[in-house]
Amino acid sequence: MTPRGIPRFHLISDRRLCDLDRLPDVAARAVIGKVDAIHLRERDVAAGKLLEVARALRAAIGDAELFVNDRVDIALLSGADGVQLGETSISVSDARALAGDRLLIGRSVHDADGARRAYIDGADFVIAGHVYETASKAGQPGRGLEFITAIARVCPIPIIAVGGITRENTTDVVGAGAHGIAVVSGILRADNPESAALGYADVL
Amino acid sequence: MNDVRATRDRLRANLNLYVLTDRQLARGRGESEVVEAAIAGGATAIQLRWKTGSMREALIVGRELKQICARSGVLFVVNDRIDLALALDADGVHLGDEDLPLPEARKIVGERMLIGYSPPTLAEAIEAERLGADYLGIGPVYGTSTKADAGAAVGIERIAAVSRAVSIPIVGIGGITAANAAPVVLAGAAGVAVISSIVAADDVREAARQLRDALGFAETHSV
Repeated sequence: MTPRGIPRFHLISDRRLCDLDRLPDVAARAVIGKVDAIHLRERDVAAGKLLEVARALRAAIGDAELFVNDRVDIALLSGADGVQLGETSISVSDARALAGDRLLIGRSVHDADGARRAYIDGADFVIAGHVYETASKAGQPGRGLEFITAIARVCPIPIIAVGGITRENTTDVVGAGAHGIAVVSGILRADNPESAALGYADVL
Repeated sequence: MNDVRATRDRLRANLNLYVLTDRQLARGRGESEVVEAAIAGGATAIQLRWKTGSMREALIVGRELKQICARSGVLFVVNDRIDLALALDADGVHLGDEDLPLPEARKIVGERMLIGYSPPTLAEAIEAERLGADYLGIGPVYGTSTKADAGAAVGIERIAAVSRAVSIPIVGIGGITAANAAPVVLAGAAGVAVISSIVAADDVREAARQLRDALGFAETHSV
């Protein structure tokens, strides 16, 4: 495996909140605010455009790690550090067969079973959510801190908590067993992404 | 692992009747069923198009198609997703002008896989050959309703112009049926690529057979 550590503070893109042309700049400012991983997660964007944005991010975020959602090919071509796989993506083992140890592999999970499977399949970390109710999954109640506790019991790889994470609840989430957090609107909706990120980083 | 050189030698013949999958047009039939019937009717190449939906499912369907094609000596190509093409050990990947750029694709697949490309203009067709495309898809030859983003018809004239300008094989695509396929190969294409005229047919095998007949007729009457 690669010696790289797993980042603790992830920012996930959402072009409804921050369009792709602006994203590299916003991501760079978040990195100044101590975000150490950026995820490019955009469905229904053509691959040519995604590669372009991924490369712009790579250039903008310095030593922070870059993850491309779902597409191993774009992750490899853009010089990303990893690929983030979801329920509908190819399996962790298929991705590993393609990428070897050139990419970290994250798996998004929604229950303890999924987290355990991701670990067995060789994922490097899981993103688990959503912990609290969040605008991006409106109407679905959060799974709560017990969800993180349950995953931590069966899944020894790092757990990144996502979904409604705020500066106020970050300590609780980490206390429940999360290695780190992933944020979308908490930073992308902020007037100042840098200070919003710093707010989280202080408690993290 | 494939050796792409052997595939290139018989590429022109393999591009004669090229069928692209389309779940929405298949009238409830699965990809494997459609592809089996198309091959029985004479299809020589299959392209898995999986624009939306689960990659997990694409892998399952793709593995079936790969097996069916390998068994019949039919070319198996995956649209857009190089990672899927590699995971399926496909013979090739097909790219459009909004997909990953050709030289980038070649970096990943090396000589392991064919790369097909759909250039929007004649100039881009010439450029694509220079960049290492193995074959080109040219169209829409006639009007088409299948691909909403396909643009206005370029006509037989474009087939003739591209086939004069490049030495790699080309296939015509867009609105092609058994009734209008012959002029496409007479203008210099190695074959035709179709979606709806086969995938949406009442009898897929018969539709493929009629297209092959039309292409065969054209070939025996060209010089």
